[in-house]
Amino acid sequence: MQAANDATTAILGKLDGFRGASRFTTWAYKFAVLEVSVRLRRRAWSTRRVALDEVSWGRLADAVPGTEQALEERQLLAAVRRLVETTLTNRQRSVFLAAVADEIPIDVIAERTGSSRGAVYKTLHDARRKLRDSLVAAGHLEAE
Amino acid sequence: MNENLRDRLLGRGARDPGCEACFEVLDQYAEALLRAEDVVRLFPQVVDHLAGCEACREDTEGLLAALRSGPSGEPR
Repeated sequence: MQAANDATTAILGKLDGFRGASRFTTWAYKFAVLEVSVRLRRRAWSTRRVALDEVSWGRLADAVPGTEQALEERQLLAAVRRLVETTLTNRQRSVFLAAVADEIPIDVIAERTGSSRGAVYKTLHDARRKLRDSLVAAGHLEAE
Repeated sequence: MNENLRDRLLGRGARDPGCEACFEVLDQYAEALLRAEDVVRLFPQVVDHLAGCEACREDTEGLLAALRSGPSGEPR
């Protein structure tokens, strides 16, 4: 109920921004969905301890199958792991490992670090760009 | 190369506009998708962002589910 009230408040507060580029209901739904989904993700993680300095690569490493076809993927993953340690700032490393390796939702990372979803994603985006540039320089990846 | 793994690790690079810019046009993107339009051509930045952002991908799926089950009928 609280989520519905907050969604309604969010929609009313954004009314001036409606430009008619979509149906009004579609435009309004996106605010409601955002409000509810952020709450659900935060609630799902509310009882779980989130230690941004203790994340692991375990689940991501398990996602790469042990076939010959996956050799390239394992090499990429190994290169990324090295570069995460050597090229990223502490903040970028924490966010990257939490969001990518440990799959902690960025809403939850934002809540636990007193930041915003956009700011957390910007940190993740900058970390990925730095990793891409380093992978290209090392010949692991083709330039865009 | 498994693009899902690469996207998950590295995202889609410079064209990714971030969560806020993606959210700005998410309603238009969702309607275009429901009309079976070519969203890769129409909204390349949104497509790239969703490939690397799990939270926005979930929100988009939620919006699409709401639109498919909502009272407003077919997207225009």
